[in-house]
Amino acid sequence: MDMNAYLSMFIDESNDHLQSLNENLLQLEGNPEDLSIVQSIFRSAHTLKGMSATMGFEDLAALTHEMENVLDLVRNSKLKMDSFIFDTLFKGLDALEAMVQDIVGGGTGKADVTSIVASLQGILKGDYKSQAAASTAAAPSASANAGGGEASGGVLLDQFQSSILLQSMEAGHQPYYVQVSVDENCVLKAARSYMVFNLLESNGEIVKSEPSVQDLEQEKFDRTFTVFTISTLTAEQLYEQIMNISEISSVTVTPLDAETLASLTSAPAAAAVEAPVKPAAAAESATAPLANDSVKISSKPSAAPQSAPAAMNKTIRVDIDRLDTLMNLFSELLIDRVRLEQLASEIKRTELTETVEHMSRVSSDLQNIVLKLRMVPVDSVFNRFPRLVRDMAKSLNKKMELIITGADTELDRTVIDEIGDPLVHLIRNSGDHGIESVEERIASGKSETGTIHLRAFHSGNHVFIEVEEDGRGINKQKVLQIAIKNGVVTEEQARNLTEEEIQMLIFAPGFSTADKISDISGRGVGLDVVKTKITSLGGNVTVTSAEGKGTKFSVQLPLTLSIISAMLIKLGSEKYAIPLSSIVETGIIKRSGILNVHGNQMVEFRGSIIPLVSLSSVLESPDYDESQEQETEIVVIRKGDKMAAVMVEEFIGQSEIVLKTLGKYLTNVYAISGATILGDGYVALIIDPNALIK
Amino acid sequence: MGEELKVIVFALGKEEYGIEVDKVRTIERLTPITRVPKTAAFIKGVINLRGVVVPVIDLRGRFNLSETQPTENSRIIVVAVNELEVGFIVDSANDVIDIDSDTIDNPPEIVGGIKAKYLRGIAKLGEGRLLIMLNLSEVLNKNEIIQLEQLEV
Repeated sequence: MDMNAYLSMFIDESNDHLQSLNENLLQLEGNPEDLSIVQSIFRSAHTLKGMSATMGFEDLAALTHEMENVLDLVRNSKLKMDSFIFDTLFKGLDALEAMVQDIVGGGTGKADVTSIVASLQGILKGDYKSQAAASTAAAPSASANAGGGEASGGVLLDQFQSSILLQSMEAGHQPYYVQVSVDENCVLKAARSYMVFNLLESNGEIVKSEPSVQDLEQEKFDRTFTVFTISTLTAEQLYEQIMNISEISSVTVTPLDAETLASLTSAPAAAAVEAPVKPAAAAESATAPLANDSVKISSKPSAAPQSAPAAMNKTIRVDIDRLDTLMNLFSELLIDRVRLEQLASEIKRTELTETVEHMSRVSSDLQNIVLKLRMVPVDSVFNRFPRLVRDMAKSLNKKMELIITGADTELDRTVIDEIGDPLVHLIRNSGDHGIESVEERIASGKSETGTIHLRAFHSGNHVFIEVEEDGRGINKQKVLQIAIKNGVVTEEQARNLTEEEIQMLIFAPGFSTADKISDISGRGVGLDVVKTKITSLGGNVTVTSAEGKGTKFSVQLPLTLSIISAMLIKLGSEKYAIPLSSIVETGIIKRSGILNVHGNQMVEFRGSIIPLVSLSSVLESPDYDESQEQETEIVVIRKGDKMAAVMVEEFIGQSEIVLKTLGKYLTNVYAISGATILGDGYVALIIDPNALIK
Repeated sequence: MGEELKVIVFALGKEEYGIEVDKVRTIERLTPITRVPKTAAFIKGVINLRGVVVPVIDLRGRFNLSETQPTENSRIIVVAVNELEVGFIVDSANDVIDIDSDTIDNPPEIVGGIKAKYLRGIAKLGEGRLLIMLNLSEVLNKNEIIQLEQLEV
């Protein structure tokens, strides 16, 4: 079989599963008693194992298998999670991620995982800690205990599984106990059982099977297997459909009610210690069916995440290239629309004008949708940060907590792809330099745990992302000292700096305030890279800090990099676009108003003197020279606090333009950030105002 | 017999040149070119090729041949090599022919003033006709442009 066709699907899905494993494991760490999380972790791990085994990535499958074994014990309450297990599982996840990355990069996904596998097996055997050994020893006796009072084939449900079944009953679904026997002459028993599972899963959910799914897959069963399932079908329908699968010799479908369920449920003593509420509830339902209400209430906490799956939208995966093509085609359409509008206004026929107007409306709706298609929630970047903060806290031996708000804020795909690294830098910086050690925090009267807030929100045409922490704040004296030592500013300059300017110094190249170099940050190549990156995205980053109270980094980003508002200007026969976001205002100046300062042309603007830039000489315009004119139109542009007036020949007007690159052949063209296609089909270059201000 | 190659034939001055068909995306009439300031002289600017902005270079300028005024026959051949998409302005493009890769000889040091490294070889077409096959990845080598710019300064 040609695996290449499935490889990209495999990679996509493994990444999804790894991500959900990560998230769930983190959640579990905060709430180790919640077995429903273990269930979903187990399911992700199991799917991942199956997928990688099918694709022939043996190491990947083997490691997942070991992790699954540990999770299986936890799921069946035979093992209690502790920090050693969490660390090992996280290590395993990292190794899995590395392997998947290797496969993405065209490798074979092979890796040496023996040490992780060894510690996982150590956990399994329970010899890594005497305490764990005690809890595993307790479990078998418990299940032996409950095994006595069972009639139907000795299949037992644990607390969790039974609570799912109860929950589904309340929701109006019918749980069934299904016993399936495969024909004696059947060659591919595993395949048949798989078909049964598939059928059951398409109509509901399988809660438990005996033998386990793994054993079934490996044909480790005789002829019969049993399944607890929740289904939307009636017993007869279920029976017929299973019988329709060939080589199935017999099926019995038994609907379950609360009473039989209770009698099927084991009440292990070991679990009672960990979750005292649930066994009590189950016992109640066994003795008095009337007490059903109390079962509902008490079983809810564990089953709630199950019954309310995160509102799943129906989605499809689309290649980003196709969206780009769609965007290109759409901008073609936009150009034709502008042309049509021109023609319609020339021809002046009502029918034509009306049609064109209608088309304009439809195409602006279309534009919105096309743009939205490329929007991705920032969550796709944020979701890796909880893990980052957790690891950072462990390795720095600090206590910190990450609070994410506004993860559903949407940003253009192109921006999302780029902001990941800068944000990692900012968060690491907050954790490493900002948050103090536990002792230090207690000494300064703060809570032990430092908090890092990560917020995203819309404001106007921008999205703001803030990283705020309640740590020690920026030490201005120290910043100044280092800035002077590293030659970022001179002592003389330093004296005149405002508070804000001092804080912004930490973004200067070659600046680092950490006394020791840690593996997290402190190489002095952090924040200036962040600033450069964000500026190149058309955004801005600022920092505000109060000493002893904390620091806030605020990143401002454009919503999209694909369509911007721009002012179109004329320079002789050529047309250029200037992004509206950096224009302060436009105006007209007289030649006599131009001042000469040190050989540089300056002009007075709103009470201050700003430099005057001749666009025609910067761009070597072949057929325009403003010095011939008595009055010149100017565009005042801004970069941070600095402003400049740019002389142009004529304003054409404001317009929404579609950003295009100049292609890979032309890179780093001076003062030009890209191109756009105008309504008449001509290409106009987009001026990079940042290059015009020195 | 070697491989059959399908080749687009174009002219610069009196010489005939060839580019393999699979490297050529499209051949266009001369459309208005938007000048890009502060680039090498042979980079004429960018054009709108059905919604995609494509840089255009004058092949005569690239090979240090004298540049001429465009005529009715001038064409832009858009090639795609190594993810680069670039248009070449040529004097005319008028033929697609099949040649046998065995008939391509190694180029002499210099052909019509063009350095050998830009050439893949010379194909004999019979009747004394010679076809100069271009080595596109070398023609589009950006490092050399940077060196060229430094020389001009």
